[in-house]
Amino acid sequence: MKKGLYETDEAIIEGIRFGDDRALAHLYKLHFPMISHFILSNSGTDDEAKDIYQEGVIVFYEKVKSDSLELTCQIKTYLYSVCRRLWLKKLAEKGRFATKMDDAENYLMLEDDVPQQEENERRFGVMEDAMNQLGEPCKTLLEDYYIRMQNMQDITDRFGYTNTDTAKNQKYKCLQRLKKLFFTAYQATV
Amino acid sequence: MEYLMYEQMERYLAGKMVADEKAAFEALLQTDLRLAERLKEHRTLLNTMQQYGQRQELRGKLNAFHTEMETENSSQQTPKWQIFWKRHAQTMAVAASVSLLSVFGTLWSVQQMKEPVKQQTAHYVELRRELDKLKRAQTAIIKDINNTTKPAPRPASVSGTGFALSANGYLVTSSHVVEGADSIMIENTSGAKYKVSEVYRDQVHDLSILKVEDAGFAGFSKLPYTFKTTESDLGEMVYTLGYPREDIVFGEGSLSSTSGFQGDTTAYQISIPLNPGNSGGPLLDDKGNLIGVISGKQAGQEGAAFAIKSAYLLQLISELPLATTLSPVSLPKANTLAGNSRPQQLKKLKDFVFVVKVYN
Repeated sequence: MKKGLYETDEAIIEGIRFGDDRALAHLYKLHFPMISHFILSNSGTDDEAKDIYQEGVIVFYEKVKSDSLELTCQIKTYLYSVCRRLWLKKLAEKGRFATKMDDAENYLMLEDDVPQQEENERRFGVMEDAMNQLGEPCKTLLEDYYIRMQNMQDITDRFGYTNTDTAKNQKYKCLQRLKKLFFTAYQATV
Repeated sequence: MEYLMYEQMERYLAGKMVADEKAAFEALLQTDLRLAERLKEHRTLLNTMQQYGQRQELRGKLNAFHTEMETENSSQQTPKWQIFWKRHAQTMAVAASVSLLSVFGTLWSVQQMKEPVKQQTAHYVELRRELDKLKRAQTAIIKDINNTTKPAPRPASVSGTGFALSANGYLVTSSHVVEGADSIMIENTSGAKYKVSEVYRDQVHDLSILKVEDAGFAGFSKLPYTFKTTESDLGEMVYTLGYPREDIVFGEGSLSSTSGFQGDTTAYQISIPLNPGNSGGPLLDDKGNLIGVISGKQAGQEGAAFAIKSAYLLQLISELPLATTLSPVSLPKANTLAGNSRPQQLKKLKDFVFVVKVYN
């Protein structure tokens, strides 16, 4: 790994902003031990540490991507603060109220970043459920078209539809079903 | 076909419509509220789906990093016990401190409980009486103020008991009473007061022979008791006279053991409550035989007092003429106490029991 490349926080942020996966990978590997230690010393497991850390990194990543990051401290502190908050929430959900956290780092009071992240997580959770309930080939069809942005013609060929109209019709039906599944579940949880 | 409608919406959302088509569609949205509602729904759905896709992709990347990192670290993986230790360090620390606390707490409390026992077993108290130092100091000051010209006689610092051995002025007391004495005075209840000196001492058996030194001393009257040469039996009724305070005090009990403190065979154990000042007092049996000399008691245990057996006193008396140039002690031969009631015995006896005052 080229360590010298991402020596500073600025370099990492710049790297992520330009979609450099190596910057993200470097960041990920750099701070995982800290969060892992924090979670493990506050009654968490390795898997929980991984989940919490990834959520934290996602928050950071999306902030960088959307240029809404106003970093007044080190990335390390920011990540720690986000993960700390997420973990507190997780503990509360588990019914274990941590009266005292075993803090290894300073942390910030993040009022706005984390709730947004939680809302997104919920929405994506619902979406994932809906997608899974949809079944094949609808799932792949929709993913190919809307997520991987593939050409309708390619999709038609691959799925073996007679023409694009049939494919479009199929896609429409799938979308209707997804819409129903998604909104029923989403509204229910609001 | 309905899906055409959706295609139109998607094109509108993607911004692919040309200007006039877009204007027409927007006009339609203004009028058709149902369409507007659908459009909103559709936008949410598509956005969510796309963000979800991105998120999945990101997750995938992060997972890839994670596995990559794990394989990198696998060579230097922290051992299992270390993970275990990290996770349970706090609990173990608490457990360890609790156990330490209880161990030392137990040790401490056991020791606390043991302490009085230790005291009971180890202490032998000599029954000489230390006179009240504070009171003495105070009276000395008062006297000093009142009468500066004539120095008052110094009061005795220690007192004990002693009794006559023979009519020609020999007495015996405990040697710890007269230890380090400058001058010794004896006095009995009838007011007879003599100056005496220590003439012989047996440190081992804690006995001292005293002799009256006064020039005007005409000798005691005939001694009413005799000295027993053989050992007395367990359970015999015994009594003593002594000066634990200013006046003579009688104490009665039985011979509770033929050995003394910690198995000392030169002494008896007797069940008479004794106090400091009793040291050197005579121990007599019912028939008026002198069987021992009071010497001490065991601290913390009432009714366990000790007296040196008379055999050792007699041995000491027999050594006296050999060791010194003094005339031999003529021991009394007739016992006039036997058969008398106890008060009668005491009446005869008390003139021969003296308070021994030691000045130094």
